Formats: sequence, C-alpha cells, structure tokens
Amino acid sequence: MVVLEAKVHDRPQAAPAKGGKAPGTERGEPRSPGRWVLLGVLFVIMIVPVYLLVVNAFKSQQDILDNPFSIPLSGLTFEHMSAAVSSPQFNVIDGYGFTLFLVVLVDVLCILLAGPAAYAIARSLKRRTQLVLLYFLAGTFIPGAAVIIPVIYVLREIGLANTVTGLVAHDVASTLPVSIFLFVGFIRTIPVDIDHAATIDGAGRFRTFWAIIFPLMRPAVVTVLILNSIGIWNDFVSPQILLSPSSGHYTVTTAVYAGISQYSTDLTKVFPNLLLAIAPVVIFFIYMQRHIISGLTVGAVKG
Amino acid sequence: MVELAELTAGLDRQARRRARLRESAVSFAMMGPAVLLYTVMTVVPVGVAVYLSLTDWDGFSAAAFIGLDNYKHLFDDPSSSEAWYVTALIATAGTVLMVGLGLVYALALKGRSRANSFFRAVAYFPHVISALILGYLWAAILGTNGAINNTLAKFGIEPLGFLFDEQFALISLIGVIVWAGFGFNVVLFVAALQTVPAELLEAAAIDGASKRQINLRIVIPMIAPVVTVATVLNLVGLIRAYDIVVSLTGGGPAGSTQTFTYLILARSFEGTKVGYATAQAVFLMVVSAVLALVVTALRNRQDQAATGS
Repeated sequence: MVVLEAKVHDRPQAAPAKGGKAPGTERGEPRSPGRWVLLGVLFVIMIVPVYLLVVNAFKSQQDILDNPFSIPLSGLTFEHMSAAVSSPQFNVIDGYGFTLFLVVLVDVLCILLAGPAAYAIARSLKRRTQLVLLYFLAGTFIPGAAVIIPVIYVLREIGLANTVTGLVAHDVASTLPVSIFLFVGFIRTIPVDIDHAATIDGAGRFRTFWAIIFPLMRPAVVTVLILNSIGIWNDFVSPQILLSPSSGHYTVTTAVYAGISQYSTDLTKVFPNLLLAIAPVVIFFIYMQRHIISGLTVGAVKG
Repeated sequence: MVELAELTAGLDRQARRRARLRESAVSFAMMGPAVLLYTVMTVVPVGVAVYLSLTDWDGFSAAAFIGLDNYKHLFDDPSSSEAWYVTALIATAGTVLMVGLGLVYALALKGRSRANSFFRAVAYFPHVISALILGYLWAAILGTNGAINNTLAKFGIEPLGFLFDEQFALISLIGVIVWAGFGFNVVLFVAALQTVPAELLEAAAIDGASKRQINLRIVIPMIAPVVTVATVLNLVGLIRAYDIVVSLTGGGPAGSTQTFTYLILARSFEGTKVGYATAQAVFLMVVSAVLALVVTALRNRQDQAATGS
C-alpha cells in the first residue's frame, strides 16, 4: 500500500526531469495520423454534449428544437438563464448554498472524527486495534443506495428522520471508512520518533496529533477532502431519500431532479438548470485538475 | 503517553498498569466517536436490512418472520430476473468497453506533454459530474425531442429510438455510462504505463519489435495487475448503477433498463414488498462484497509483487 502511494505522490515532481524522454512519445506517435483521428474522435464525443448544453442554455425553445447545434447570433438570449437563476421553485442557485453547507460540514466532521481515530489505529500495535481498522474497511463493501431504506428506520428510532442532522450523520459515516483507511496508510509513513519527541516535551496524544502529526498529513488530507467533497456534492440518493420535499431543503441534484420531473419538455428550463448544476464542478475541476485526478484515483484504487 | 518521571522513579507494577490504562482510555477517546457514528449509521442499518429480509414486511402492518422465503424467490418474478439481466449486461459490457477504451487511449496519451494531459482531462471530466445530471444532459440529446432526433427530422429522417426502443435504450444507457466512466481508466492506466521502464521499450525496438508488438507483448502484460484492479473496480461500481438510470431512462421503456438497485428502491417506495426488496438489497451487498474481496486480494498480490521487485 505504502509503495503505491509513494509513487502516485512522487510522480508530478519526477515528471519534468524525465520530460518527453520516453521513446514512445518522441518516435512515431505525434506524427501518426491514426493517433490524431483517435484524439479527434475523443474530443468531439466528449465536448459536443457540453457544447450543446452551453449553447442551448441561451436559446429560445423554438431555436433549440429547430437548430440544436447552431448558434443563432441574433437569437441568443439571457432570458431563460436569468429566469432559472431567479426561479422561485427548485432553484439551483439556492441548491448551491445548501449543498456547499453540507459539503463543508461533512468535510469538517469527517476530519475531526477520522483523524484521531486513524492516528490511534496507526500507532497501535495491538491486534484489537487492527480489528477496528478491518471493521471500518468492511464499510467499503456496502452498496450505499441499496441499503438506504433501513437507514430511514434507524434515523426514525433516534428521532432524526427527515432532518438535516440525520442526513449529515449518514453522510459523515459514509465518508469514514475510506478516509480512515487513507489516513492510517499515510500516518504509518510518518516516523514514530516525532511522536516520542512531542511526548518528552509534555504533549498529550490529542495535542501530539493535532499540533504535530496532522500538519504533516497534508497530502492525505487534500485527497480525502477532494474525494469527500465531490462525493457529497454529487450525491443524489441520500438527500433525496433522507430529506423529503416537506423539509424544504434541496441540494443541487435533488433540485434538478424535482424540477425536471415537472418541466421535462420545456427545454428552456432544462438546459439553463443543467448548466447551472454542472458549472461549479467543472470550474473547480479546471482549476484543481491535477489534485482532483490524483485524489480521486488514489481514493478509488485504495479505498 | 507515559509519564517518564513515574517510570524512572519506581517502575513499580501499579504505576505501569495505571499508565497502560490511561493509554487505552486515550485510544478509546480517539476512536470512540468515529466507531460509534459508523456503527449507528452504517452497520446497524445493514443489520436492520438483514432482519427485514427475513420478514414479509409491507411497510405498514406488523412484520412476520418468514425465514429464507424471500431469498428462495429472488429470481422468481419476471421483473427481478429482467433486472438481473440488465444489471449483469451493464456491468460486463460496460466494464469491457471502459477497460478497452481506457487502454487504447492510455497508450495514445501516456506521454508527458501538455497536449496529452489536456486530452486526458477531456476524457476524464465527466467523472467529477453527478451521474444524475449527466443522464439528464444525454436525455436532452438522445430523447424524442432531443438534439439528434430534431436534427435528423430536418433531413426527413424518422426519429431513432435511442431511449424509447427497448433494446436501443439499454445500448444507449451503456453508451452513456461508458462515455462518463472510461476516462477514469485512462488516467489509471497512464499512471501505470509511466512506470514501465523506457530502456525496456528501447531494447525491444532495437531488436526490431513493431509498435504493436511492443504494446501487446510487453507494455500491456506489465500493467496487467492495474488492469485487473480497474476491471473489478468498474464491475463493483456498475452493478450498483442507479442515478444515471433515474435520469436517462427512468428504468423504461417498459422496465427494459431497470437495474437491480433501481428495482430495489422503486419497490421499497411502493411499500408493498419491503421485506422482499431488502432481501434483494442484501443479496446485492453480498455480490459486491465478493467482488470487492477479489479486488483486495488482487491488490495485496500486486503490492507484494511491487515490494518484492
């Protein structure tokens, strides 16, 4: 495990030194027309849906139906986009706020719970503690959506049914297994001597963790934050099922779902709302591309 | 940890035991909250699911214990076996296509140039977007009134049943899933390909091996462990497909694209066969646990190979 992690993190730094020296890249590849056909097909198939989304968000229903692919320079309108932004019902912009609130809260609580737990697990040699790690790992085998119904019964028993608290509790719990697993792997690469030095200086274990070890865990924390943030932001099943419409809270995904169930044939509502729903994630992706790709890859392969 | 003064002073057994006790208490305080929340919100629901699966509960009246009856009838009714067929087809066809395309594009984009990393991002970006939203986007493109059919109509061509022909809908669903997911494999494979030593490929080229021979005989076998891991990751992910089904086809037409998870959730809300639906959920959980165990075993073997070399 450790070996794999080291490689993934080292690679970006190692890249410039080796840049372009691989034989495959210098010879043949750039010149072969087959390669450019392959990449051309890739580009068209991946980008055309996004192009359609962006262009049609600023067209009238008639223009969308008649010429979905064209850009009618005179017919472009912000009317439907501003209608979507100010819509009183299933407003995606309102969804941003609530979803962001969920993401931040779940991220913070996950770190607060997973950090110390992972530290205790990583620094213990006891068999019992290793069983705790296995207990958490078993959670990665559970298909969340399929067992969401029993979660409702548990929340009802403890009086948190249909509350934001209940949703947050469920979301935090669902992020714990992978987060703890990644943290434990990382903490084990930090020399124990650092802990001993802190102990001699009189720091307790909580203090040692938060003041000394946690700041050293930055790469692992970034990975976990990216993994959890994107997971919670895109989650549909949990908010949809654990928060009924009567709660009045909509995330981006549940707002789009509720909206489209009502106006599916009105494309002047579909396209602007979908664009609003996708835009923040894509912008975030463009800015943080390398972190996101490596974070999600490490998370999936190891989690 | 342990007070050093105490240790050096006497080393008497009592002080040591007290120190160890305090140590355990601190460990417990560190792990306790996480263990508690995880137990209540994740483990207990699974227990509840197992219990409900042994009853005939309908969501309202009192549940009666009926043993393994629900499991005996897991494949009896037509919509369940149909859902299994759909799920298995999505998982296998989707995995084969995603891994295949992933390999093809990883080989084309393995170099460390700016153009390559741009194209990798282009292949990858749907992975960060909610599957629900992607499904709606594709529904607006492939639907009866979608961009493609409206364009075809201008040339007098009959609309194609991307989403309203039963077989075509399943193909469209798999296509969209592959579109959204293969980029993840590209990135995974590129990372593996970049660890293949350049000298090896140079030596093969000097010995007169063609590009295709090098790729098929040397490069792909060298990244085989990563391909295996990706295969199982894709399988585990795809047998749980739900969000994209909701938004792209809604399980239709005529239930022809209902996946297993879709069926489980739909049934739980009808509120008539909750016990039966949870039995299916438990079964799905066992299947994904088996697949996930396989991935763990393969990964451990891979790690051992990595440390051994």
